[in-house]
Amino acid sequence: GACRVSISMTEIRAGFTAIKTNIQSRDPIRTLSILSHPHSLHKVKSSDRCCITYQLFTFYVDKVFKHCRTEDSFVNRKISSIANSFLSTRRKLGQCREQNNCLCGEESTEKFKQILANYEGLNVTSAAMKSLGELDILLDWMEKSR
Amino acid sequence: SGELYCSLPNPRNVRFESINMKNVLHWSAPEGTGVGVVYKVKYAVYGVGKWIRKPECRNINRTWCDLSSETSDYEEQYYASVKAFLNGTCSDWMETTRFNPLTDTKIDPPMVSVSSTDRSISIILTAPEKWKRSPEEESISLLQVYPGLQYNVSVLNKKTKKRWFFSISNNTLVVPWLEPGTTYCVSAQIHVTTPVLDSGFSKEHCITTLKDK
Repeated sequence: GACRVSISMTEIRAGFTAIKTNIQSRDPIRTLSILSHPHSLHKVKSSDRCCITYQLFTFYVDKVFKHCRTEDSFVNRKISSIANSFLSTRRKLGQCREQNNCLCGEESTEKFKQILANYEGLNVTSAAMKSLGELDILLDWMEKSR
Repeated sequence: SGELYCSLPNPRNVRFESINMKNVLHWSAPEGTGVGVVYKVKYAVYGVGKWIRKPECRNINRTWCDLSSETSDYEEQYYASVKAFLNGTCSDWMETTRFNPLTDTKIDPPMVSVSSTDRSISIILTAPEKWKRSPEEESISLLQVYPGLQYNVSVLNKKTKKRWFFSISNNTLVVPWLEPGTTYCVSAQIHVTTPVLDSGFSKEHCITTLKDK
């Protein structure tokens, strides 16, 4: 269903760009992706987009950010500002769910299961850091499908 | 073929240089090595399990390799790696950081065409095209790649040196209420809001409004 949520994409994108190289350099595993393989976000049907977005924001808020502390205070500040943006956006998306405008189809449920399986396949710190390093995959997909 | 013990210094500064998604791998020669060094190149799609060799960049002595074709899917991200060989010895494989064609490319300025009446000028802007394998291949404008693409336009009155700036989303702009018989110079830049990408400004296109009727 239709669900219009204003998201501070520019702010999130700027925060991520500032730490992208640092975070991605902490992820030595080239052969695995949490978000983009084996199934690409870009193949998700538009009707499932709202649900997948909500699930992914919940995934980042509940599972990823809390395991991403580093020894670098600048990086940590950027991570917490991104996390706060995700928290407020997830809240808005949650309102869509309550108004039943954000239905979860079979495909998005399956896709999200795959993401969780990818995540569980690594130890939690590696999985969280890899997920954070893939934030641009999520942002690219969201911007493309605006 | 088994590789020898690798004691050669490593290629340095291995990175992608990308303009309009023409993605070329560049590196610097290993320190202290003169002529005779040759290189091999491989690349990998992030999240997919294998490195792929680039045959056209095998045993090359130049320090770049065009990987545009191999990295043309901008919904994927990539790594590339280079290894040096000299007199029977070799270096380690040296990798790029993760390359995202969508956010890590540079964009050329737009093409600008200008026409005028006595009291206005009309500006038409054309965004550059994404790199393509051959002229026959279908063209993709960067406008299609970046939904948030906008144009910043600067218009300068050459006589008074007064300058105006406009920010527009569509590709045409009419500037009214100008002075007849006066030269105006137009320059434009592409601005993508997110991901944040800015081209340089185009060179100036000057035009003189018609004299008063």
